[in-house]
Amino acid sequence: MSDTRQKVIQKKLPREVYSALKNVVGEQWIHESRSVVETYSKLSIEGGSFVKKHEKDPHVLPACVVLPASTDDVQAIVKICNRYHVPFIPFTNGQVFCNPTTQDPTLIIHFSRMNRIIKIDTQNMSATLEPYVDYAQLQAEAMKRGLWNGGTPLATTVCKLASQFAFAGLWQTDLKYGLLNRNIISVKMVLPDGEILSTGSRCIPRAGDFWEYGPGPDLMGLQRSGLGTNGIVTEITVKLHAWVGDDALPEIPGGRPSLKHVHDAKYDSPPEPLKNHKLLWVEFKDLDTQLKAMREIAHSGVGIGLNATGVYSAFYCSQTQEMTVQRCKEHFFPDWNCYVILANTTSDQQIAYEEEVIRQIIAEVGGTFLSETHKPEVLKALQPWNYDCIRHSTGYRMNRKFYANAWLPVGPLEEAKTTSREWKKALDLFGEIDITDRGGADDTPFVYALQRGHFCLFETDNYPDPVLPEEIKKAQAYGIYGAAVVTKYDLGPQLMAFVNVEPFTTMFPEAGPNAHLFMRKIRQVFDPNSVAAPGRQVFTEQEWQQFPAEIKAAVNAMRELNGMPRVE
Amino acid sequence: MTYYEPKPHKKFFEKTLEDYRDSIWGCARCNWCQNHWAWNVKSAEYSEICPAFHEFRIFPYAGMGKMHIARALLEGDFDYEDAPEVVKFLYTCTTCGACELNCQRLQDKEPLQVNETLRARLVKDGIGPMPEHRNLLKSVKNYDNPWMQPRTQRDRWARKIKIKNIEKEPAETLFFVGCTVAFDNTQWHVAQNTATILLGAGVDLGMLGTKEVCCGSPVARIGDRDTFFDLAQRNIDMLNKTGAKEIVTFCPGCFKALSHDYAEVPDVPRLQAAVYHSSQYFDRLITEGKLTFSRPVNKRVTWHDPCHMGRHCGIYDEPRRVLEAIPGINLVEMERIKDQSWCCGGGGGARTAFMDFAQKTAAKRIGEAKKTGAEAIVTSCPFCEQNIGDALNAMNDEMEIFDLTDIMIKAMYSREV
Repeated sequence: MSDTRQKVIQKKLPREVYSALKNVVGEQWIHESRSVVETYSKLSIEGGSFVKKHEKDPHVLPACVVLPASTDDVQAIVKICNRYHVPFIPFTNGQVFCNPTTQDPTLIIHFSRMNRIIKIDTQNMSATLEPYVDYAQLQAEAMKRGLWNGGTPLATTVCKLASQFAFAGLWQTDLKYGLLNRNIISVKMVLPDGEILSTGSRCIPRAGDFWEYGPGPDLMGLQRSGLGTNGIVTEITVKLHAWVGDDALPEIPGGRPSLKHVHDAKYDSPPEPLKNHKLLWVEFKDLDTQLKAMREIAHSGVGIGLNATGVYSAFYCSQTQEMTVQRCKEHFFPDWNCYVILANTTSDQQIAYEEEVIRQIIAEVGGTFLSETHKPEVLKALQPWNYDCIRHSTGYRMNRKFYANAWLPVGPLEEAKTTSREWKKALDLFGEIDITDRGGADDTPFVYALQRGHFCLFETDNYPDPVLPEEIKKAQAYGIYGAAVVTKYDLGPQLMAFVNVEPFTTMFPEAGPNAHLFMRKIRQVFDPNSVAAPGRQVFTEQEWQQFPAEIKAAVNAMRELNGMPRVE
Repeated sequence: MTYYEPKPHKKFFEKTLEDYRDSIWGCARCNWCQNHWAWNVKSAEYSEICPAFHEFRIFPYAGMGKMHIARALLEGDFDYEDAPEVVKFLYTCTTCGACELNCQRLQDKEPLQVNETLRARLVKDGIGPMPEHRNLLKSVKNYDNPWMQPRTQRDRWARKIKIKNIEKEPAETLFFVGCTVAFDNTQWHVAQNTATILLGAGVDLGMLGTKEVCCGSPVARIGDRDTFFDLAQRNIDMLNKTGAKEIVTFCPGCFKALSHDYAEVPDVPRLQAAVYHSSQYFDRLITEGKLTFSRPVNKRVTWHDPCHMGRHCGIYDEPRRVLEAIPGINLVEMERIKDQSWCCGGGGGARTAFMDFAQKTAAKRIGEAKKTGAEAIVTSCPFCEQNIGDALNAMNDEMEIFDLTDIMIKAMYSREV
């Protein structure tokens, strides 16, 4: 640890670069004062940036923040960055991988001014958005027109769709609608060298924006989950689907929640199911039965969403940290469970029919529905999901200190058992940090059934105290162990990008799918000056050299622990 | 296995940044401090909730940014001389509390409390408040009111109303008028209306007259805790001495100070009387049949929730019930209401120091109100009325703004008081 009162001084951009940027956006929209850059430096769930804060590492501080208003602005900014070799980080909410890891003065391009819904095309069922538009905004406007985009991320509804495109865009309703990434019609991007790329049919003059394929090579596939490596999205056109609920989510009859010090129970009435939607919760005796039931339901073709949640229900559906911990201790929510989201998307009788199918499956596999006669108090406590399954709002209900270094492997449904078993091993190996770390070991990992259950995502997490760097480092050890597990068991890519990201890409080169190896080659083509989103999807040699030696050593220790050769 | 032990309770005004260390390190950047609770979002246009972030678009203006600034100051990553702009960021906040509500709902954290604690630290260190606030503080210290007015002028609004001076004649209910309405003759009507309605309903009402002193809310919000503690002590002593069983006030700032803030001041006695916002009191009188409205007021109106009355103190339903009890009133709601109401821009010292910003924020509220088709905005806060009223004037807009009591008086008497 460094001297606790030592100041942390940011590097500044050369004056000529600053002036050039100021000329693009105007003085009001460029900031380099110390307190402004501070607010763009510590991220949400990225343990590394917290450790760096404790260590007083100045490299987490960007040099400058610039706020463009248009694609032209972005293009001009990127060209300046190329001219002067200034690394830049595209930035929306700053939740995950926006860390300015570079040791050179780095520019943050914050998109908060680019927040317009450009168009909702009811004929072609699509919406075109600027990069700062979030799911809540899109859904609110689309629902008025009888449409919606098909889901919101489990993280939070205020995620921006353009950011999600750079990762994957995981929804609770992936069972039917797939990831955001599979719901994109086109993007307009500023490439790392400042060129503008349009994809899909919008790049054909006067053809319109209705089809994801263009006349030439499909460059959108290269950008999907690209983490900003190959450019910045400035416009995104997403598919819309039929919405069968009301034109807005109904007000909760009891009112809206109040502050704790003026708390009134009437303001915490959880919502009833939405019109034409229904949630079914099922409890199982063990993980095997849970997974068997989920497999059968997924393959039966019913429902728009199918997931299982363990410790997360305690977080999402409890009002305070104390309540969360108490419910975890008591195993208030069923350890082994799943929930199915049903909707009348094609017929008024659809929910009734599909519920009957699910009841038959559960009767065969074994399981008990939460109901008025079986754990009604638990069913009542789970009611926030009635709205959250459509517009996820409690998803960042931490009610916990912090969470970091999640395991998010992808694989066939059965691999939930691998995750659970290995998470238990990690708990024994490294020791628990918080009571809730046992989520995923003593109860189900968070399981998301994607694309009709052909593959799933399994989530387990650490909950370190951010004030204690030792705890965060311990959580990082879990993270590295998780990467080793993913590699050892040939699971899908770590993290929500659905492609491997740095530093895992370099440290676990065996892990697939290995699109990043292709990206490594082409980064030089797209980004000849290595200025775009440094250190995200692929390291340059220089970025790798700058990566902390102790992390490299920890990775090799973990590789050896899992019978893998060292990476040099 | 670690269990996080709850910390021993400390009163809010005793807390320092150190007490928020866990909270400020744990900010998850979820961004809900800037956004309308998503279940209630009905349009893209009105999906944001933080007026300062909405206007300036960078994070230091949001609750989240304050948490990050607080962390850096607490850990010594920078100090005021490295970042003099911090003062502006902290004082642009209207203390509307939307960030606090959403953050408590999701994260169990307190960005507004952190901001107010930061302000207190700035004042203590001689860095804050904004220069525009200094006259206000001097005035409170010298004249017991923030508006540089002599004490003797405080009861001028009541010259034509027969109301007990509680120091001379005991009364069951004390009317705490507040400085803004008492000294601003354009707002006297609110005090006059309130007293008329209460007296008309048979309430045994008294007031402190020229002896009333500032509740301390403005200085508390600005961060001058020493002055606030002094005012709290004086007010509690004086109010307890009156023997009144109830205190009624219509100013949300006074109401929050008396009903919530004083209890958070260290080493002061409890206020003996029960404190009511006037809308709560009116609602009760209506329920008891002591207050009736005989004359229709044919207006389509929308209710603007003052932040320090609604979000801070949980009073949402009572004023709505009062309006709905008035014949002819057609109450229509804006998109952002109750705990997700959009601030008028006038609170927390923002109007004093950043008038342009305050007016732009009010203009946005007016735009939202107009979309309901309402002819008038009704509220119950002198600051909201002033700030929205000024914006309406500047826009030369025909929409009207009324205090709740204006509408009530119209429904009770053949002439306006």
